[in-house]
Amino acid sequence: MVKANYMPTSLPEALGLMAEEELIPYAGGTDLMVSEAPGRDFLFLERIPELTQISQDDQYLHIGAAVTFRNILASDLTPALLREAAASIAAPAIRNTATLGGNIANASPKGDGALICWAADAQLVLAAASGQRTVDIADFYQGRGTTIRRADELLVEILLPKRWLAGASFCKVGARKALAISRVSFAGLFAAESGQIAHLAVALGAVADTVVRRPKIDAMLIGKTFSEAKAALPDYLQAWQAAIQPIRGRVSAEYRKLVCLNLIEDFLVERLSSAHNG
Amino acid sequence: MHQISQHVMKKDHREKIDGTALYVGDFTQQGALCARLVRSPHAHARIEAIHYPRFPEGYYKVDAADVPGENIVHVVEDDSPVFEADEVMFIGDPVAMIIGPDPALVDQLVAATVIDYRELPAILDIHDSDKVFFDYHYHKGDIDAAFAVADKIYEEDFQTPYQEQAYLETQGVIACFQDGQLTVHGSLQCPYYVQAAVIKACGLSAAQVRIQQDYTGGGFGGKEAFPSFIAAQAAVAAMKMPGKSVRLVFDRREDMEFTSKRHPSCCHYKAAVKDGQVTALDIQVLFNSGAFTTLSPVVLQRGIIAAPGVYNVPNLRVNGQALRTHTVPTGAYRGFGAPQTFFAIERLLDHIAADLGQEPIDFKLAHLVKQGDATSTSGLYHFPVPLPQMVAKVMAASDFRSKRTAWAQPQSGRVRKGIGIALWFHGAGFTGAGERDHIKAVVRLRKLADGSVEVLGSNTDIGQGIKTTFAKIVANELDLPLELVNYHNPDTALVPDSGPTVASRSLMTVGELFRRAAVQLKEQWQDGVEQVVEEHYHEPDFMLPFDLPTFHGDSYPTFAWGVAAVELGFDSLTGQNDILGCWACFDVGTPIDEQIVIGQMEGGVLQGLGYSAMEQMAYDSTGRIRNHSYSDYIIPCAADVPKLDVQLHVEEFPFGPYGAKGAGELPLVGIAPAFIAAAEQALATRGLNHIPLTAEESLAYLSAGQKELAK
Repeated sequence: MVKANYMPTSLPEALGLMAEEELIPYAGGTDLMVSEAPGRDFLFLERIPELTQISQDDQYLHIGAAVTFRNILASDLTPALLREAAASIAAPAIRNTATLGGNIANASPKGDGALICWAADAQLVLAAASGQRTVDIADFYQGRGTTIRRADELLVEILLPKRWLAGASFCKVGARKALAISRVSFAGLFAAESGQIAHLAVALGAVADTVVRRPKIDAMLIGKTFSEAKAALPDYLQAWQAAIQPIRGRVSAEYRKLVCLNLIEDFLVERLSSAHNG
Repeated sequence: MHQISQHVMKKDHREKIDGTALYVGDFTQQGALCARLVRSPHAHARIEAIHYPRFPEGYYKVDAADVPGENIVHVVEDDSPVFEADEVMFIGDPVAMIIGPDPALVDQLVAATVIDYRELPAILDIHDSDKVFFDYHYHKGDIDAAFAVADKIYEEDFQTPYQEQAYLETQGVIACFQDGQLTVHGSLQCPYYVQAAVIKACGLSAAQVRIQQDYTGGGFGGKEAFPSFIAAQAAVAAMKMPGKSVRLVFDRREDMEFTSKRHPSCCHYKAAVKDGQVTALDIQVLFNSGAFTTLSPVVLQRGIIAAPGVYNVPNLRVNGQALRTHTVPTGAYRGFGAPQTFFAIERLLDHIAADLGQEPIDFKLAHLVKQGDATSTSGLYHFPVPLPQMVAKVMAASDFRSKRTAWAQPQSGRVRKGIGIALWFHGAGFTGAGERDHIKAVVRLRKLADGSVEVLGSNTDIGQGIKTTFAKIVANELDLPLELVNYHNPDTALVPDSGPTVASRSLMTVGELFRRAAVQLKEQWQDGVEQVVEEHYHEPDFMLPFDLPTFHGDSYPTFAWGVAAVELGFDSLTGQNDILGCWACFDVGTPIDEQIVIGQMEGGVLQGLGYSAMEQMAYDSTGRIRNHSYSDYIIPCAADVPKLDVQLHVEEFPFGPYGAKGAGELPLVGIAPAFIAAAEQALATRGLNHIPLTAEESLAYLSAGQKELAK
């Protein structure tokens, strides 16, 4: 049961309430609704203009934390990678109310929107009445369901770097074609400049307590020519093999791991064999 | 096609769309008592003592001591109690019920009820079962001689899992006892089954017990026997609290965990082949009945009668057993024992054909039964068997041969494809002599002075459209506009017992009684007066009487036929499958409404696809069902509906209304073997003898194939 309803219409009002009381930010609520937290008070974010808009500058796409997946799909600014992931989430009724900020702050390793933010090295803007800070998404999480967000802070904006989003790939393994939680999810960014790999980022969802992103492993191939990268591929895959320690859930750990390695390998083999070598 | 097949708007379309149709959960809770069950947490234990909390005013317990009649829920046999008194037999077995006005407080009181148990050994696996509930045998020909001279003998084992009906509306009833009259209404398939159970538990007469069906949001067999249990429990509580409505409505989790589902099966098949023909089958069929007998005898009968499939195998020995385990009692689900054995026989023939170097479909066509052949129970296929024409239609629509040939070659690339086909029947109507000896259906038509006609029977519309199709038959025979002919949700105080809504019997058997009643009424028709006519079931003269002890005679008056091809693509990186197409052809005789029949066929196919590779329900080491929510029990959703191509073939049944036969269950029955045949081709393996096929397992086959290629 909801004890108190706060539905602020501006960010300062929301931050003022967060400073005064212990409130659960409610950004769509598609997970909160079914979790039943009797006696907890919610702060509804859907009427705060600053949190419900998408804009861009040279470097970043700025996505308000309370932008729904429906609006992400409707926006001309949304990159194809995020669009594909958003379209794979649940079903239209859920996407009408679920938000990217909720997907990130809920801190489930299975969030398909969060996965894209990990792959893109997104930054998160956390605001409080006392001031705001910007953190890397990788630093935001402490584990499954836990983040560094203080009780008085709100996640207000996601900064999605635009630079490497063009040659990206997404794959979701769910139990059916819609209304399915990821059993394994994969996002990969790849860019080549002057015959060399300029950027590589792999992110894996639903295999550990948080999304798995290993920049050091990806760095093994960055700066290499395609032929050098092909030669280094076995070592790169070997490094991932050691890095993926999946949890057992509705499917076995072995299955999760095998699918991750298959998807990583397929992604790189396909990119490295493509004609667009520079 | 017959003119009656032309689609009309369903009789209950408007009230279901505008929300005026009341389902049991829609009735006001004002003044009603909420009922919640206190259930066993153990699979098997002795009840030592029950300690109830102090009850606030208006809150009560109901248990075995409160049962005014016999502490028995009558199904086929009388082995399940209304409330357990001494021993609990599965996790969820009801021991008591708490009733009171505030649901939240009732929940607290349920939680505060302490029962002392002494745990007893629990048997979960049917292979460990120490109690055979039902053990049937039948044979024909000389099986030992056939095996003695066989060129080759094949032996295989097959397993099929639970399947949850997943109806949109959960189980629920409301009971009220007032002025010596007990009324129970709710979501149910068989009002007179519920009445018999309530009479026994409450010690009342038939005249004192009235059962009304509310609008029902799907049944698929799940509301055949189970409503008798909750009706008996709610009725017992209502008798304790005269004048109060007692409302027992399940939430989804409770419904999925504790109500009946399809029997899991293990089948062992042994086949003799001589000169390229299967000459003998030695078959053992094991069904997991769970803790009680429920409908298992009849489910098992249907299962073993179908065990040799649509093939003429002269020598047969069939043994079927329904075994007790300390798990949730299983029951009816669309197909009723037949999907299990059709899975086995279709897979077996696919494998024998492959071993003999033949295309499975050619091998199957060479074994087909035809009109005049003996059935498995030495009855007769009295009517034409249209399978060859139906197979031809499905193969043409699916481009079967060229796909099958192409994908038999070694495949590379991310997606691996396969196509498979299966053939089956569904015995139309009640199994064996049930219709003649037990059901003895009666129907009535009441023509009112204004010229409108009420169609009176106990069959329920659970979404399959029986209100519409019954009315169409009567209107057609009387030459009346459809608006003047109506069929209402049955109420045992107002309608005769035309039997249960089961076994794909309603339209074929009861519909024909209504047609004959309409003929009678037409002959007697007098304007401006009320008239009532009645019809009774008589077994058609052509039938060879069925004898249950020997399984000898006509098990069904006729058969509905099915053929389906399934085409799959597997992702070699993830093991996930994509259903590229499903082509099916069904013969249900004359469709009384073509659109209703097509909808029913598509829905059944989809349930069959879910059964094949998606729906997974398991219990843990303590016997608790783990998949009790829709996030854990995955059924196909709209996005999973593949390209579905359903055709109808009409072989008219002269004893059904306008040539109609049973339809409801048919489409689900043979989908799984077609699916798995396609999977075997795509995964380049043989011996997939179980369902559901998971992505994990598929990936293991694909990875093994990959390594094979690498060598």
